Amino acid sequence: MTTTPTGCPVHPRVLPTDGTPLEPSPVLGEWREEGPATPLHYTDGHDGWIVTRHELARRVLEDPRFSQQPQRIPGETIPGGPELPYLDDEALASKRVANLLFLDGEAHSRVRRILMARFSVRAGRSQQPAIAAIVARQVAHLLTVGSPADLMAEFAAPISAAVHRLILGIPDARADEFARLFLSEAPVQDRVLFARAVIEQKRTDLDEDVLSDLIRSDLSAGEIDWVALVLMISGRDAAAYMMATSLLALLRHPDQLAALRDDPDLMGGAVEEFMRYGTMFVALFARTATEDVELGDTRFAAGESVSVSAVAANRDPQRFENPDEFDITRDAFGHLGFGHGIHGCLGQQIARIEIREAVGQLLAALPAVKLVSAEQLNPLPFAHPVATYSAGSVIVEWS
Amino acid sequence: MRVNVDTAACIGAGQCALVAPDVFDQDDDGIVMLLNAAPSEPEHAATRRAAALCPARVIVVDESE
Ligand code: HEM
Ligand code: SF4
Repeated sequence: MTTTPTGCPVHPRVLPTDGTPLEPSPVLGEWREEGPATPLHYTDGHDGWIVTRHELARRVLEDPRFSQQPQRIPGETIPGGPELPYLDDEALASKRVANLLFLDGEAHSRVRRILMARFSVRAGRSQQPAIAAIVARQVAHLLTVGSPADLMAEFAAPISAAVHRLILGIPDARADEFARLFLSEAPVQDRVLFARAVIEQKRTDLDEDVLSDLIRSDLSAGEIDWVALVLMISGRDAAAYMMATSLLALLRHPDQLAALRDDPDLMGGAVEEFMRYGTMFVALFARTATEDVELGDTRFAAGESVSVSAVAANRDPQRFENPDEFDITRDAFGHLGFGHGIHGCLGQQIARIEIREAVGQLLAALPAVKLVSAEQLNPLPFAHPVATYSAGSVIVEWS
Repeated sequence: MRVNVDTAACIGAGQCALVAPDVFDQDDDGIVMLLNAAPSEPEHAATRRAAALCPARVIVVDESE
């Protein structure tokens, strides 16, 4: 059977906004029942597709016939976003190479290869003690704040910022500035200036970190600044989201929480289940077919946009048994929480360690922790129009 | 079982080294390193799993040998 994107002109199909991280919109499930891909209306008026079944999702993400350009947005645009400052031609050219998620083929691997060294399993293992120490400091801070406290503001967000600074190599003296510019909204211009100043400072003080690798690479000076900026933004919020959402999932499922407390060896598999069950990306960045593509019974015409719903694919009953059940003992590997294909998350091994340490140490420090409230239990506006779920505050108490 | 890796296609996501650490590692640049091109029986399941999880189809498992 072949379908074409004929979204109803009166009620165009847009991403449902009635879902939450732990209870995604039932609409995604309905679409998945209908077929592996269904029509989707993008904000620029284009009618493309959204893939909701796991098998097709993987095939699309692995297929080089899809490009990251043009980038169309299915989610609600966020009004009032800061305007880009005027950029000269060189800055514009540099900016184009900076975001891995907007690049294809050689242009993509040229930049990704420079960054890979610090994100391998082995590199993660060598950073593990430093990440554990960051988490331990934040647990101590949380205990000082006292019960009740917001796990997002007092725990997850500060950890994500400190780990980001560690891996990238942003000097400690700039911690407050980094937090002010990247943990809340700030003009892009200010962030550009920050990235530039950090690179300038590090040029004379090269170390074992990502920004030093960038400086040592054959990228131009302008390119280095932009890649640095993109990395300062990428994944920091996602890591905070996942720490907060994973803890919330456990607090809402006391049996699973007890199982994890009883057997900390379950943690490795549990992290994969956190990623599957609490998936952030309702849709990954849109891919565009560069030619007519036929995958199984689904045909995408050249020029059509295809969004992959990681949330929907991670709850596909054909791939995961009882997908709406949170079960930390299941084999959740193969989930699309970090994406898949050549754009699969660069930071995933670091993120895994971060989540594991944050959840493990928090549970150990607070044996009687209880949930008070969490904003994300009710639908929140998307954090990013691509679109991703927002974590919100997660208030807990303990005695 | 024979294992082959196309290092030029590797994007360093590390799924292989995570799920089959006795067969795969990543070198100093983050690129896949084959520790054992002919894994023994107990490693077969993990090796197949790594091949299936690899996001860039770098790992080819030949079951005929
Ligand atoms: C739990 C935390 C994280 C989650 C859930 C997450 C999720 C993702 C996803 C889903 C993608 C693919 C997007 C797509 O294909 O459209 C991605 C890509 C990426 N992530 Fe993460 N991420 C996390 C942490 C991090 C961290 C800590 C970093 C560190 C710098 C990072 C850096 C990147 C980069 C650079 C890309 C682009 C890769 C490429 O295009 O080759 N992420 N991430
Ligand atoms: S899983 Fe594939 S892409 Fe990732 S490191 Fe291993 S071989 Fe490379």
